[in-house]
Amino acid sequence: MITGNLKTSYGADEQVLDNRWKRLFLFSAVLGLGGIAGFGNDYIILIACQMGIMVIAVTGVNVVIGYTGLMSLGHAGFVAIGAYATVIFHNAAGGIIPDGVLTLVAIPFAVAVAALAGIVVGLPSLRVKGLYLAVATLSANFIILFLIEESFSAPWTGGMNGINTPTPNLLGWALDTRREQFILIAALAVLALLGAQNLFRTRVGRAFIAIRDRDYSAEILGISLYRTKLTSFAISAAYCGLAGALFAYFYARILPEQFELQLSLMLVAAIIVGGMGRMMGPVFGVIIIVMVPEAIKVSFGALAGGGAELAMIRAPLQEIAFGALIVGFLLFEPFGITQIMDRALRALNRWPFARG
Amino acid sequence: MGQLLQFTINGLMAGAIYALIAVGIVSVFKATRVVNFAHGYLIMFGAYFYFTFAVLVPQAAWAPDWLASWQPGWMMDMREGLPMFSPLAAVLDWLANVPRILLGLAGALLCNAALGLVIERTLMRPLMGQSVFAMIMLTVGLISILSGSAQLIWTSDAEFVPSLAPNTPIRFALFGQTIFLFGADLANMVIALLIFAGIVLMVRYTKSGIAIRATAEDQSTAYSMGISVPKVFSRAWVLASTTGAVAGAILATRNGISPALGLFGFSVLAIVLMGGLDSYLGVFLAAMIVGVLEALTQWQLGGEWAGIVPYVAVLVVILIRPHGLFGAKEIERI
Repeated sequence: MITGNLKTSYGADEQVLDNRWKRLFLFSAVLGLGGIAGFGNDYIILIACQMGIMVIAVTGVNVVIGYTGLMSLGHAGFVAIGAYATVIFHNAAGGIIPDGVLTLVAIPFAVAVAALAGIVVGLPSLRVKGLYLAVATLSANFIILFLIEESFSAPWTGGMNGINTPTPNLLGWALDTRREQFILIAALAVLALLGAQNLFRTRVGRAFIAIRDRDYSAEILGISLYRTKLTSFAISAAYCGLAGALFAYFYARILPEQFELQLSLMLVAAIIVGGMGRMMGPVFGVIIIVMVPEAIKVSFGALAGGGAELAMIRAPLQEIAFGALIVGFLLFEPFGITQIMDRALRALNRWPFARG
Repeated sequence: MGQLLQFTINGLMAGAIYALIAVGIVSVFKATRVVNFAHGYLIMFGAYFYFTFAVLVPQAAWAPDWLASWQPGWMMDMREGLPMFSPLAAVLDWLANVPRILLGLAGALLCNAALGLVIERTLMRPLMGQSVFAMIMLTVGLISILSGSAQLIWTSDAEFVPSLAPNTPIRFALFGQTIFLFGADLANMVIALLIFAGIVLMVRYTKSGIAIRATAEDQSTAYSMGISVPKVFSRAWVLASTTGAVAGAILATRNGISPALGLFGFSVLAIVLMGGLDSYLGVFLAAMIVGVLEALTQWQLGGEWAGIVPYVAVLVVILIRPHGLFGAKEIERI
């Protein structure tokens, strides 16, 4: 708990991680990720990679929903754009740019394309908000997927059948195992979180928060609603584009159906579970959203040893658990796990004098 | 030209069903200010309930024979010597199915009404007075719960379900063009339009309809005038789930039953926003427009393109008129 402002210089006040607990957390997180990269078994690496990709995407969703207060149900579309842009760039520029540099160019390219798409999809946010915006972005998700699947783009995207994805190569270091890819994903995920943490120290980031709290007041304060809302959409789409690029590198093949509404809902569910408008919200949310279906899978495997009958029940149960997580958190803990963590840390800090 | 008329009429028939689905979303929104993203999945439950009571129950060992196929003596007499595809034979086929159709509809209506009540009472009521975001996300969570439970309950592959009306082909001339329709489609359209009109009249003239409108206008004033707002809420949900059950039964006979029925709800949601959330007239027009546009797109560009018509239409309309064609402009007090 912060009991007072103990900073003695402007430099200390402006730091990205403004107290030593945050710095300690960052160092231990990096150590922990390094430990996973070094000693984790294949299953742990696989789950951790999925979580890392999701964390980046959910951080992007958090920028637009949690910090700017614009409802969006279409972010899976941006992930799709990032993934397909990476693959298309690799296929188009494969002969021109040397292999070692290609990945370093392809990722920024995917991010830029996704950000552009974010600006286009964000256009309705200038006219409508709340529910109307949710449906507008949801429509955008359907339209983006349709454009990817349709026969005129099939030569580049592979249409309904999907397309094989390239192996990332960083200056001659081919990341062809899951473990090596995990290093890339984890590094980018940590950087993405730090970048978001930094964003809300800046003028733009604070403008987002002002718009969330009251858009009219923000406008009166001199914030351009148009420009700021579009910036917010662009930044969040860029995060999702980065997640999409990593998604393409991580899986051997991408299919349009991986980016359907289900993924959009999953991204939003993760910040509801984790806590909206909090930097650690995406991390906690993704851990729960990925772990609960996995836990169901593992416990079913232990029960039956993989009988076909039980496998039939497993998928619907995972789906119900996913919905129950959203409903349960909305009903009982609307501010998500960050709120629970806050309470726990506060109790720990005050122990033994008071609880909570 | 002949094709154009044919496809327009097909579109109008699809539009009527869209309108029937949309009326559920609008009713819930009018009473409770919640937009139900899971309405498509309520429809899916309606379709599965219809399937259960119209196909599974009559097939059960304990069910009487006349339930599965009703064949009184006079019907057998009429059937004698009829050619294969005559309209009368189709009507007789349908008559044999009437008992199980009625049972199916009654079962679907009752079960779906109960489902709507349970959802309202256990999930929506505790969130009364919370932010719109929370309510909407709750219905989003409901999507997963409903679709997962449907897969758990009805694991068997869905079979053919009896259509609500005799499926005789109808051929007639309009403006010198031959138009070709199926009797069941026409009957579905009439059913959908009658229910839509009935609900609009109910909301306008009956006591409970006026209570719904008063609640929509101002919740706390409605409370103080002696209207039981929670009761209005549950009534709206029952209204939505029962119309959803009828729509589900119709869709089941048209497209078959599958978990994909739930996705239908999203295109109808787009239609509702296009028409304006709180306007029955606007929603009706939007449903018809989208139905016709879809049919024409299917004719000109092919089936895949038809799927995104509602989404493109709603984006265009929202960009020009943010509150839909006939929606009331929200006034925000600062």
